[in-house]
Amino acid sequence: MTGLLKYLSPFAPDQSGAVSVLYEMGGLIVVCDAGGCTGNICGFDEPRWRTRKSAVFSAGLRDMDAILGRDDRLIAKLRDAVSKTGAAFTAIVGTPVPAVIATDFRALGRMAEKKTGLPAITVETTGTGLYDEGEESAMLALFETFASEPFPVEKGTVGVLGVTPLEFSSLRAGELMAEALKRRGWKRAECYGMGSGLESVRRASAAERNLAVSPAGIKAAEYLKKNFGTPYDVGCPFVPGSLKARLTGLEGKRVLVIHQQVLANAVRDEILRETDADVTVATWFMLKDRLKREKDFRLTGERQFAQAVESGGYDAVVGDGMLRRALRRYKGLFIDFTHFAVSGNLSE
Amino acid sequence: MNEAYCITAEKLARRGRSQVPEELVSSAHLIYSSPATLAFNSPGAQGFGVKRAGLAIPGSVMLLVSPGCCGRNTAMLGGPGGYGERFFYMLMDDTDIVTGRHLTKIPDAVREICEECAKTPSAVVICITCVDALLGTDMEPVCRKASEQAGVPVIPCYMYALTREGRLPPMAAVRRAVYSLLRPAEREPDAVNILGYFAPLIDGCELYALLRQAGVRRIREISRCGSFDEYLKMARANFNLVLNPEARYAAQAMQKNLNIPGVELTRMYQLDKISNQYRLFGRAVGAAFDDRRYYGEAAAAVEKFRRKHGGATFAVGEILNADPFELSLALIRYGLAVSEIYGTVGDANFPYIKKIAALSPQTKIYSNLSPTMLYYDESDSDVDAVVGVDAAYYHPGRAGVGWNGERQPFGYAGVKALFESLDAALDHAEFRREP
Repeated sequence: MTGLLKYLSPFAPDQSGAVSVLYEMGGLIVVCDAGGCTGNICGFDEPRWRTRKSAVFSAGLRDMDAILGRDDRLIAKLRDAVSKTGAAFTAIVGTPVPAVIATDFRALGRMAEKKTGLPAITVETTGTGLYDEGEESAMLALFETFASEPFPVEKGTVGVLGVTPLEFSSLRAGELMAEALKRRGWKRAECYGMGSGLESVRRASAAERNLAVSPAGIKAAEYLKKNFGTPYDVGCPFVPGSLKARLTGLEGKRVLVIHQQVLANAVRDEILRETDADVTVATWFMLKDRLKREKDFRLTGERQFAQAVESGGYDAVVGDGMLRRALRRYKGLFIDFTHFAVSGNLSE
Repeated sequence: MNEAYCITAEKLARRGRSQVPEELVSSAHLIYSSPATLAFNSPGAQGFGVKRAGLAIPGSVMLLVSPGCCGRNTAMLGGPGGYGERFFYMLMDDTDIVTGRHLTKIPDAVREICEECAKTPSAVVICITCVDALLGTDMEPVCRKASEQAGVPVIPCYMYALTREGRLPPMAAVRRAVYSLLRPAEREPDAVNILGYFAPLIDGCELYALLRQAGVRRIREISRCGSFDEYLKMARANFNLVLNPEARYAAQAMQKNLNIPGVELTRMYQLDKISNQYRLFGRAVGAAFDDRRYYGEAAAAVEKFRRKHGGATFAVGEILNADPFELSLALIRYGLAVSEIYGTVGDANFPYIKKIAALSPQTKIYSNLSPTMLYYDESDSDVDAVVGVDAAYYHPGRAGVGWNGERQPFGYAGVKALFESLDAALDHAEFRREP
């Protein structure tokens, strides 16, 4: 049955992706929920939450708030919180509750700005979408709101879009990305959302070039190109060393790499650098046509996933270890390649 | 601005229950998300939430019917051999949210799950969430159809965070649900059920011995039922002993459907109150409990702790197996200092606040949920020992205990275990998450 998971757990949802992008930006983030979504987002999907404070709140909605559409109460609470905490902006992240009652997020955003005097971002996530959609929406909203001024281009600076713990399964992802880019000759890397905060976003037009390291970063890169002429590439400058070391014995093999598309492509490139393996990329998440090769495909459900792998003749699958649970009849090699958005595990 | 809000016990008591400041009223403000509030937002993240509680029925499996976000953190229970093989998910999409189409798929999903399980489940628990709360879904006919199709009992449970402060909050509703498969059975006059928790009482809890003094031979807790047949025997109880007010609705339902009356006891840490409660309980059931030995052991543990660590100043949280205000009152009455309490003020615990105000008027009361807790700063605090996971969050590095284990402390055994754990923790100047 479509949508039935018998072996896997649900992947990180769009609301988690949105918060992941906004987490280090110095805003006051309100998850528009009763409490459980915030608990999931913070307690499970945001690994920085236990060690690094951020102003993330639950709206604490109750049944009558939802039934009567009491947006004014939410905004009053938001204003109250802003008065008690220092925040550069407010962000309201959607969940299934406002989705069911068709909350007008644009109006909510306008009300928030009027009552708080601060810029407001709204991200209309619904809890039914996947994390990368939420990341994409939040990132675009962030740059559209704050990256509005042209600055002189600082040569040697690269802006990195789409780096989050959900994408790269590491709390050091920003750091590792910056190091890899420095090795490639860049003087400075601004990893928006992991190491580089709101001020860097404001000055995004100063980057000489942008790099989208996940599909979710592409729309923001396009915005910056359109508004400031900043050229961009799509790609990941490194493959985790711990994975590289295990990509052995793949000469002449049929290999399936499962991850977010950009990182999966980087792994494919790594394998093909050393071998003549036949490598296909699959993803549960965004699959951009411009980045895919002929046989690459999207995973849509547990049964389809199992059938594709088990009948695909793959000698090796490179993917998050949790996915093995759904491959009851697959007998080939499985190389664990952690994806936090899939399993909730970090690679370190 | 930029300061965590608190109010002294004295000032709060003077204001009275009807004038509790808005900072301490969760519905009046946004809920700050920190490790100290995780259990409020997501009870299952640190113990039993609705999803895990719904699987209290031995041999049952759960189908979570919801948007993907609701089941996300269940992954931490995953993996073969554990709960991971008992959870299944039917993911709702945007069309389901608008049309309710997902309900028509449930019977087939239940049948598919039952066919997949190595052993036919004793029951399938369907957990639905806020979306269905707003859609006003009536799950009973859906469950009946699913049960007919799959040939196993199918019951609903409701992870309705929207109704947390309503008449039947989710954790009370799930307690009612897990006993709903019990059917009228022949009464065993020497059998008692203990209701309220999803893990057993701590070993050595005197309640077991006291019940045996009263002639009870069979004491059943759902968490100790090793099979569905054992669980069904809970319908034979002479009466229910309710140890957690969240089980009150379950007990009322069992009274109505099974004609099993209930008696409620309160978990407390004040020795004289425990003694008084047992005396009244004994009177109610026609037994004279001899609890002197247990009282003595607990009192000795308290006294030993006081002699060694009586100078400690405590912070008491609410993510623990206690009411923070009742526990704080107990500590104060034992001669210990409580400087800070992190708790949710309500009707049931306001009387404790008044007594704390009389004995320790300057004790500061915070709400974990207040947005201002973003700025809690322990540098001006005199706390040097903590009880509770949240208290430890605010005071990292301080000695103390989390007191949030799954096995449930109760009565004199709870007091004794608490002070023995605190004694060991303070002896080694360490924080012990588990007792």
